[in-house]
Amino acid sequence: MSFYNKILGKNGSVKKTHDKMRLSKDININIANLKKEFGYSDDLLINYCKTDAKRDLNFVSVYFGDLVDRSTINSLSLELDRIKNESGGKKSEMGSHGLINRISGLRGSKEGFDYETLYTDLLSGNTVFLIDGCNRYFSLITGSDKGRSVEEPSSQTVIRGPKDGFTEGLSGNIALIRKRIRNKALRLEILSVGSITRTRVGLMFIDQIAKEEIVQEIRSRLLRIEIDGILESGYIEELIKDDRYSIFPSFLSSEKPDSVAAALLEGKVAILIDGTPYVLTAPALMVEFLHSSEDYYHHFIISSMMRILRFAALLLTLFVPALFVAFSAFHQEIIPTPLLINIAAQREGVPFPTLLEALLMELTFEVLREAGIRMPRAIGPAISIVGALVLGQAAVEAGIISAAMVIVVSITAISSFAIPNYEMSNAIRTIRFVFLLLAGFLGLYGVFMGGIALTLHLCKIKSITVPYLMPIAPRIRGGNKDTFFRFPLWKMEYRPAGISESGTARVNAANPAAPRKRGKQELR
Amino acid sequence: MKLKGMPLAFCIILSFALLTGCWSSREINTLAITICIGIDKTENGYLVTEQVLNPKAIASKRAMNETPVVLYTAAGKDLEETIRRITKQCPRTIYNSHLRLVVFGEELARNGIKDILDYIARNHEYRTDFYFVVAKGTTAHEILQALTPLDTIPGINMYNSLATSSENWAPTKSTRMVELVNSIVADGINPVLSGIEMAGAENKAESTDALKQNYLKETPIYKMLAVFKKDKLTGWLDEDQSRGYNFITGNVKKSAGYAYYGETARISYNIVGSQAAMKVSLANDGKPGMEVKIKVVFDVNAVEGQFDITSEENRESLVDIVESTVITYCEEAISAVKNNKTDIFGFGEAIHRKYPKLWEKMKDDWDNEFPDLQINIAVSAKLSQLGQITKSFFIEEKQ
Repeated sequence: MSFYNKILGKNGSVKKTHDKMRLSKDININIANLKKEFGYSDDLLINYCKTDAKRDLNFVSVYFGDLVDRSTINSLSLELDRIKNESGGKKSEMGSHGLINRISGLRGSKEGFDYETLYTDLLSGNTVFLIDGCNRYFSLITGSDKGRSVEEPSSQTVIRGPKDGFTEGLSGNIALIRKRIRNKALRLEILSVGSITRTRVGLMFIDQIAKEEIVQEIRSRLLRIEIDGILESGYIEELIKDDRYSIFPSFLSSEKPDSVAAALLEGKVAILIDGTPYVLTAPALMVEFLHSSEDYYHHFIISSMMRILRFAALLLTLFVPALFVAFSAFHQEIIPTPLLINIAAQREGVPFPTLLEALLMELTFEVLREAGIRMPRAIGPAISIVGALVLGQAAVEAGIISAAMVIVVSITAISSFAIPNYEMSNAIRTIRFVFLLLAGFLGLYGVFMGGIALTLHLCKIKSITVPYLMPIAPRIRGGNKDTFFRFPLWKMEYRPAGISESGTARVNAANPAAPRKRGKQELR
Repeated sequence: MKLKGMPLAFCIILSFALLTGCWSSREINTLAITICIGIDKTENGYLVTEQVLNPKAIASKRAMNETPVVLYTAAGKDLEETIRRITKQCPRTIYNSHLRLVVFGEELARNGIKDILDYIARNHEYRTDFYFVVAKGTTAHEILQALTPLDTIPGINMYNSLATSSENWAPTKSTRMVELVNSIVADGINPVLSGIEMAGAENKAESTDALKQNYLKETPIYKMLAVFKKDKLTGWLDEDQSRGYNFITGNVKKSAGYAYYGETARISYNIVGSQAAMKVSLANDGKPGMEVKIKVVFDVNAVEGQFDITSEENRESLVDIVESTVITYCEEAISAVKNNKTDIFGFGEAIHRKYPKLWEKMKDDWDNEFPDLQINIAVSAKLSQLGQITKSFFIEEKQ
């Protein structure tokens, strides 16, 4: 924590004058400082406890009334009563030393010396004890964990696989991961980011599996963030991303503890942010945005087929409207004759150029999608009726839009939903408009130029120093077992090179069902 | 001003819109999609008939009120000029990339088609996957006037009909651009195009009313093969000769035929596969001889009369009969073109490949030497299947 303070110390916008100040021996000065620092906030509760009237041996417990857990505070105050009685009964037997011993002996107590940590403790919902004549404070974890209970994630649903999802509470989320990886090598570092919000950000990785450079890189990037507040993982992602202008997500955000655990096992680093159920894992590769946690729970042939479908869906989303426009406005000779006749028959009487028609429909779809998300749930079905009937059927029957265009837009829409990651799906859907315009202005030539530019961009960008297209470009020999196809688990013998510490084996390829053999591979 | 990244990309994309102005972009509904072109000879040039698709008629789900195609004709000396002249009547740009069929009038074909082929091969708008046919005894303009059922676009109807019949019925031949030009340009081979004529030349189906009948008295029908000497039409092969031609050139994929066995029995067979190979050999006098080996696989279709197909001997004699039938076809074809002095089989080309030096001496006078060429046809037929029954039901047992 002190390291972090050093970094923050450079920040002129935050007052730092008192922060490094140590606590005084005089309890009254300490209390006065506290009150002043928090601007006499009404929810800062200070309980004065007097143990000995003669010797004026006092201590106070300080906490934020709405941050703490009531029942914990109640049992704590019982404890404090007992301390008071003990010291009151046996007069002067308990000096300040005794009191200190008594309080520091309370369950979960830790001590601190300076104001800065004191504030942090208070703001985390801890109860802080100040004792007269003692330049230390003791803090007890009394924070309330109240929040949403663990529920099924709303944005990443699965058929087979665990149904629990992260919640907004950091400690609950950490527990969900710890429960899955019961290993002492699982590391957690809590940083606090945001000069005003002091959001707790957890950095999790498995020691010896995660690459040290990558962990260090993420840690130092997090520490270098200078911003007033972090409210969601999107803030972190946008701030520490390698290529800030790139539309492609370079962190995999997940609501599912099992996906995060799997990422940790691959040597990735998880970033948990207090206040959001979305946990980031990095480095994230392009292909991973098309993988689903379910891929590993189903039979590998089925999973591979689904993956191929998703890759196809990605290409369809990106290229179908553009190619349709390019073909029907520039290169009619490419269309097979029967299809051309069909399209020509449908386009008869359509008043718009194909590009405009495509843009209209694609934008309409985007508006429908956006409206569907923001609408109250009860009105949701109305949107789909309007979309399907009014825009689909009526527009075609009125002869404003050709039926082929409706099909093209539907294919694009459905395909875009087949991309499992929402951010990637958004990125692809946005880029398809660029392709659409290129196709409308330059035909196939434009589409190909756009394709080349997109490929170059993808080759250039990185996710935490790891190339985005990694198992493909740069190609990693034998590293493509989990790219387009999902190889059987026993074939994926090593963790992905370049992400994890190289050469660490994760599975013994031998078949447990086969007769035993000697000389087993050592697993870490 | 410093442009970097996003603003630069934005400017580039904007310049596409503002500077290129969608160059060469043509919407489908501004195109007159030509399905079929008919070219006839007039006194001083060409008469071009363009069969243009009428998308509106095809789009309507109700009964057809308009004809599915519209004919535009123009006359002129130059082909491209004539086609452009059509825009005087037609509101849309003539678009020839989806051409399915080019019909030459017989008179034009007799006068040569070279110049037309140069135009079509040179123009970037034409693909090379359409067929060429010759209107037999009539003009291409006549042929294109007909309306057809099933495939309501006549050009596509004719295209598909030619494709299906050359697949299933030996005597037609589908010829595309590359093959046609190659066989005109190459020495020792001449092109062959399918002929097309109107069956029942009176009251053609010119209006959609005719399509309401289930039997069309008048419709374009493929008939005979047009023999070209280089690019000029010189004669026609009838059905059997056409069949022979296709057997020799190995074009028969599937076909059907029949053969008599003795006086009473008639066996109908199905040819399911055929291969042909030409072999050139030199006779003692230094003259080349040609051997054509044809392999035919056939099934039995029907047995009429007293013929027990289950007996081994009968089956062998059946094979012999089929072989001799095929040989007859081939010989008819050969004798027909020998009279014509036109080598359509590519015998000259085969000699060229095997004996290039000999060919150098022969090629100038090949048309006169070809009729004297010794051609030996060997057919080996193979009976594959007897069908779903073995012995015919109606055979009278002789015991």
